[in-house]
Amino acid sequence: MNAAARIHRSTKRRAAVAVAVVVAVVAVFIVRLVSIQIVQADELNAQSADKLSAQTSIYGLRGDIVDNDGTVLATTVLRYDVTASPVSVTDFDRTGDDGSTTTVTPTQAAAEIAAITGQTSDEVYGILTADPGSNHAYVVQGIDVDKFRAIRDLEIPWLYYESHPVRTYPNGAVAGSVVGFMGEDENGTAVGTAGVEQIENQCLTGTDGLETYQRGADGVAIPGSTETAVQAVQGGTAQLSIDSDLQWFSQQALVDRINETGAAWGTVVVQEVKTGKLLAVADYPSVDPNNVDATPDSERGSIAFQSPFEPGSTFKALTAASVLEAGAADVGTQVEAPYIFTDANGASTRDSEFHVDPLRLTFAGVMQESSNTGFGMLGERLSSEQRYDFMQKFHMTEPSEVGFPAESGGILAPWQDWDDQTNLTTTFGQGVSTTAIQIASLYQTIGNGGVRLPVSLVQGCQAADGTVTDAPATDGQQIVSSKTATDVVNMLETVVTGGYASADLEIPGYRVAAKTGTAQMSDGSGAYGDSYITSVAGLAPAEDPQYVVSVTIAKPVTIESALAAAPVFQKIMSQVLKQNRVLPSTEPGPDLPTTY
Amino acid sequence: MTNLAGAAMARPRMTLSGGAPAPEWELPEIAPRIEIVPTRVQKRARPKIAYAAVVVTGVLAIVVTQLLLSIGLSDGAYEVSSLQQEQKELDRTNQVLSEQYDSLSSPQNLAASAESLGMVANSAPVYLRLSDGAVLGSPVAASAGTPTLTGGQTLIPNSLLAAPTAAADAAATTDAAAAAAAVSAPPVEPQSADVPWQGALPSPTTR
Repeated sequence: MNAAARIHRSTKRRAAVAVAVVVAVVAVFIVRLVSIQIVQADELNAQSADKLSAQTSIYGLRGDIVDNDGTVLATTVLRYDVTASPVSVTDFDRTGDDGSTTTVTPTQAAAEIAAITGQTSDEVYGILTADPGSNHAYVVQGIDVDKFRAIRDLEIPWLYYESHPVRTYPNGAVAGSVVGFMGEDENGTAVGTAGVEQIENQCLTGTDGLETYQRGADGVAIPGSTETAVQAVQGGTAQLSIDSDLQWFSQQALVDRINETGAAWGTVVVQEVKTGKLLAVADYPSVDPNNVDATPDSERGSIAFQSPFEPGSTFKALTAASVLEAGAADVGTQVEAPYIFTDANGASTRDSEFHVDPLRLTFAGVMQESSNTGFGMLGERLSSEQRYDFMQKFHMTEPSEVGFPAESGGILAPWQDWDDQTNLTTTFGQGVSTTAIQIASLYQTIGNGGVRLPVSLVQGCQAADGTVTDAPATDGQQIVSSKTATDVVNMLETVVTGGYASADLEIPGYRVAAKTGTAQMSDGSGAYGDSYITSVAGLAPAEDPQYVVSVTIAKPVTIESALAAAPVFQKIMSQVLKQNRVLPSTEPGPDLPTTY
Repeated sequence: MTNLAGAAMARPRMTLSGGAPAPEWELPEIAPRIEIVPTRVQKRARPKIAYAAVVVTGVLAIVVTQLLLSIGLSDGAYEVSSLQQEQKELDRTNQVLSEQYDSLSSPQNLAASAESLGMVANSAPVYLRLSDGAVLGSPVAASAGTPTLTGGQTLIPNSLLAAPTAAADAAATTDAAAAAAAVSAPPVEPQSADVPWQGALPSPTTR
């Protein structure tokens, strides 16, 4: 029994020791646990978050601007900045394909970088060593993918890479003045500051997204830790009515002629009669949005939208339509147009060509001859108010529906403010200023049976989720009767078949209706100077007008009549008809009598 | 501990055999064969080895599955990461190619290329109506003297096209060579595809 008791006691003692040890160990654990989980918790959490968490921003790139068939006019691409950490610029080892190791010095590395970027190696080395204590220096900025890849493949350990989105315009100055370009707002954010870039800025702009995740020792995201903090939204795509090929052709033809005639500026507008869509809006001078700085500030806009000018004789189509619509005359109305005409108020005007005897002309003949005196006589059959009302109806007093930045609505005083001379000259397009777009729209109305359609440039902007905004209005407005419109087209056809610029306007196989204009330009001090704006606006084919082409060339030197603009009109109209597969006319024109 | 337990277990047996021996039977060597027969309920309640086996296997299976799952997940993480990297590279390649495509298909470049191939624009369009085979318009062949579309002048600047003609020439030569190779019947000298340039050399107009 003694032994048993001894064993019993020893057992008890051992058990007690064991329990004590266990309690002590547990106590240590608890202390540590409390220390880690509660006392040091914040500090440790922060440390771990530093090591683990990472975030990437996901670009919501600015959307494209495309033409009517999807050709990209403006898009966003990524460019790369290469930065170095000068403080860690040292020799490094490079393992070749064959496993051999070579040591590359910073000088050699600089030469390798320079060979890719096009800098000199001294330049690159200078950047690397300019501030040896610094952690950040731009080696090169804004390089493309090819160069970025080439530099990355050098495997230089102290180089870092950043990407950033950049706007690019693959077609350069083709539609440059219409597409516009980017600038910065007051906060330094990139925004569209001209053209469609500005009109559709909101829809085009994307939203950058943000993703946070936790990463392992080698930088790989730990599964299931990725969280999207901000969802990236890609910018919308704005589609224009512009046809980039035709746009290029128009610009090329315009610039060619401007160089030939020594003119100062010019513009071409091509509009579809049945839809009101602008197919081409060419301006000279015009900006290449890829290189905005190369163009002076004053020449970066769109003349066609923003610069009103006195249209001259192309405006006579409006007077003719007004007089015919009001029933004050018809196409056969006969007038004796003198060289100088003085109206009842004492205002007077003269024809451009001197003639002793009055010309015995029909209304159509007055149009063909472009007789100012004839138009003064016929135009004044309507009161100033009546004529002003028609101008208003034809939208000569307001900007078009395009809503182009800083778009002009022309300059026309209310009829009550007209002096006697203005009262007379407005019948033939002086004393009133319009934009090229307004003139194109006038001819669109006449070509479309008197129904004016809203002028449209942006055909809509499709957001990333598929919703389309900013679709243009399509409801037409009957301005004059279809009979009046047809009469005016027939009158305009006589200009092409028998006017002085006939040879330069005719397009073989097609019936064309057009009006030339040679307007005196204001010299800037209230009088007319000795430079001219020459223009042609017209429709084809005349039997069922499909397209408007309006050409304006200002201050030509070698030719000072509409003959400066006529060949451009003919060239572009031929191209429009050919490109859109318009069949040649089969019926002869009405050939209205012009004299009696 | 096991010994102690064994001793304690032995004690009741000793008292049982000492306290109540069976007088009638003379079988002293043979231990009494009395056993407590478990009731059905007890039998059922007794732990069975099968259950233990199932539980242990289950736990093992869970552990192994968990392990495999984590391996799979982290494997997947690396795959995702490498695929993302690949996608990035492909996006870059895509960007390079689209940029190239957009620039090459710009009207300035197309016109320059067409002209370097000796093409001229025919200003007399003619249509063939398929319904009755009628020819609409009067066909006139463009002569070699017809001025080219641009007269060899790129009037519409595009700063992205630093050297449009160089690229176009290279492409044109390649295409012509390919075409020449495809058509074997008329032996075409690849050199003859090069149309001598007429007019001034195209150069960007600086303004």
